[in-house]
Amino acid sequence: MADVLIRTAGITKDYGNKVKTRVLFGIDLEFCAGEFTVMLGASGSGKSTLLNILGALDRSTEGDVFVNNTNLNSLDDDGLALFRNQTMGFIFQSHFLLPQFTVLENVLIPHMIYADRVNPTIEKRALELLDMVGISHRRDNRANAISGGEQQRAAIARALINRPRIILADEPTGNLDTANTEKVFSLLQSINREFKTTFIMVTHNSELAQRSDRYLVMSDGRILEDKYLNVKCLE
Amino acid sequence: MNTISFEWLLARRFLTENKGQTSIIVLGIAIGVAVMVFLTALIDGLQANLIQNTVGRSPHIVISSEENAAADALKTFDGEKVLLIDASQKTMRPIVEWRSLTNSLTGDSRIETVLPVVEGAGLIRHGQVNRSILLKGFDIRNGDRIYDISDSIIAGSQNVQEGAVLLGKDLAADLGVSAGEPIQLELSGREPLTVMIDGVFDLGVSSINQRWLIMDQRKAAALLGKGDRISTIEMQVYDVLEAENLAREWGTRLPDYQVKSWQESNASLLAALRSQSSSSYTIQVFVLLAVILGMASVLAISAVQKSKQIGILKAIGIRTGSVSRVFLYQGLVLGVAGTGLGFTMGLLMSQLFVVLAEQEYTLLVKPATAAIIISATVLASALSAYLPARQVSKIDPIEVIRNG
Ligand SMILES: Nc1ncnc2c1ncn2[C@@H]1O[C@H](COP(=O)(O)OP(=O)(O)O)[C@@H](O)[C@H]1O
Ligand SMILES: [Mg+2]
Repeated sequence: MADVLIRTAGITKDYGNKVKTRVLFGIDLEFCAGEFTVMLGASGSGKSTLLNILGALDRSTEGDVFVNNTNLNSLDDDGLALFRNQTMGFIFQSHFLLPQFTVLENVLIPHMIYADRVNPTIEKRALELLDMVGISHRRDNRANAISGGEQQRAAIARALINRPRIILADEPTGNLDTANTEKVFSLLQSINREFKTTFIMVTHNSELAQRSDRYLVMSDGRILEDKYLNVKCLE
Repeated sequence: MNTISFEWLLARRFLTENKGQTSIIVLGIAIGVAVMVFLTALIDGLQANLIQNTVGRSPHIVISSEENAAADALKTFDGEKVLLIDASQKTMRPIVEWRSLTNSLTGDSRIETVLPVVEGAGLIRHGQVNRSILLKGFDIRNGDRIYDISDSIIAGSQNVQEGAVLLGKDLAADLGVSAGEPIQLELSGREPLTVMIDGVFDLGVSSINQRWLIMDQRKAAALLGKGDRISTIEMQVYDVLEAENLAREWGTRLPDYQVKSWQESNASLLAALRSQSSSSYTIQVFVLLAVILGMASVLAISAVQKSKQIGILKAIGIRTGSVSRVFLYQGLVLGVAGTGLGFTMGLLMSQLFVVLAEQEYTLLVKPATAAIIISATVLASALSAYLPARQVSKIDPIEVIRNG
C-alpha cells in the first residue's frame, strides 16, 4: 500500500456559540500520496468545512488530522501558518491574487513570506510555472489586469511555487466556462502526474469526478460514498 | 528566516496603492508637526529674547556678603530710601579674600566672566542739582564683557582709558553735565571731592543710566576708603538657564556669602515664562493626540480595506505578527515622511513669520526640542499602528475565502 499522507480520525465540526450546529459528523478518511481525489456533494454538505480543516485553515471541534504523521492539533497558530506555507497549496473559486503585485510577484509571494530574498533559482521556477500554466506573457501585468481564466492559472502557479505535497482546490473551476474548466482541470491532472502532488478537489462537476483516481460524495456532514476509480493508492 | 524584506515590500505596496489616501495622512501629520514646530519656535524665540533682554547686559550671578545683599535690595528704590543704604552700609561686610575667590570662580569652566566690583552709594552735586548715585568700581575692560560699556559711550572719548570716570546718560542730563566737565562727589562718611567726567554712557537700561557712576576698581576703593576690599563679585555664565543651579552650587561652597542668580531676582518673570511654556506644551500634546487619532483611524480603515488581501496572505502562510508589523512599518513610513515634511513647513512658517511680522527677534528651534518633537511624532506613528495591527490579527482567512 502507498504511503498514507493524510489521515483524519473522527473529525467533527460545530458552528455557533450558544446554539451549536454540527456540520461534520465524525469523518474518518485516508489520503495517499499522489492521489487525485474529487469531492462531490450538495451545497452546505460540509465540503469546504472539511477541506479547510484538512488544509490547517481551520481547527476541528473534535478528532485529529494527521499529515505526514504530524497531528495538526499539536501546532500553534504560527506553526499552522508555516505548515500551510510549506506543505499546502490552495486554489479557490476566486483567484485571490493581490492586486498590488504583478503576476510574477504573486506567484513568488508564498516563497517571499518566509524567504529572505528572491534568488535566481526561485525566479526561474516561477517563470517555468507561468510557462506551464500558459501565461508567461502576463508575468509583468498587474494581477487585476488579466482575464479571469488567466488569474485562476496564476493562482495555480502560486499554489505550486513552494513545491507543496498537497493541493486543496475548492471549486477551482466554479467561476470558469467549459473551455477554461477543461484547461484548468487538465492542468491540475498533469501537475498531479508530473509532481506526484496529492490533490483534493471540490467540484459540482460529476464528469470531472469520473476522470479522477477517487471520488467522495458528502451529504449533511457525512461521507456518503467513497469510490476508487484507480487502484493506484491501494496497490 | 528573515521575512523583513517582504513585510517592507508589502507595507510599501499598500501605501503606494492608494496614493491619495497616503498623501492626505502625510499632509495631516505634516500640518500637526508644522504647528508644533512653529509654536515652539515662536515661544522659545520669544522667551530667549525676553531672557536676553533681562540678562544680556547684567550679571547672571552676584556674590556678596549678607549685609551687603540687604543693601543691594534697597538700592533699587527711589532717592529717599537710597539714603538708608548709607546707614546700612556701615555694617556691610566687604569681601576681603576676593583674589583667591575670583581665581577659583575663573577656574569653573561654566563661568564666562568674573568681575570683582567695588560699590558705594553717594551724592553728586552740580550747580543747584543733587542726585543720589551708585558708584561702581570695576576693571572697565573686564566689565565690557558684561556691560559692553566701551561700545555704549555717547559723549567723550570712544577709546575708554583705564582710569576713566563715566556717568550714566540720564544722570548726566539731570545734572546738566557733559564729558570733560567736573562734578562734586560726596560719598558717605568721606570728604566731598571734585571728579572729572571723561565720558557719558548709555547702557539702554534706565535704572543704570539714572544712577551709575563707573570708574576703575582701585580708584573707587580708594575714594570709598575700602582699601583692598571689594563689595560684590558679578558673573556671567555660558548657559543662562543654568545660572540658578550654579548659584546654588557655589552658595553651598561659600556659606559666608550670599550667591544670588538672576532667576532669583526675576522670579515673577520666570513664573510667567514657565506658565507660557506649559500652555504651549499642552497645545502640543493635543496636536500630537490629534495626529495619532487621525493616523490610527486612517490605518484602521486601510486595514479594513485590505482585509481580503490579508486573509489570503494568512491562508498562504503569513503569520499574524508579520501582518501587524506591516502596519507598524506603514505607520513609521507615514510618520517619518509627515514629520520630515512638517518640520520643513514649520521652519518655513517661522521664517515667513519673522519676515512678515517684522519681528526683531529670531524664532528659535532648539535641537533638544526638535529631537523631542521628531521622536514623539515618529513614536506616535508607530503607536497609532497598534489599533490596525490588532484588527488584522482578528482577520480570519476562512471568512475571506467563504465570502469570495
Ligand atoms: N462560519 C460559519 N458559521 C455558521 N455556520 C457555518 C459557517 N460556515 C459554514 N457553516 C455551515 O456549515 C455547513 C457546511 O458549509 P460548507 O462547508 O461551506 O458546505 P459546502 O462547502 O459543502 O457547500 C452549511 O450549513 C453552512 O451554512
Ligand atoms: Mg463550499
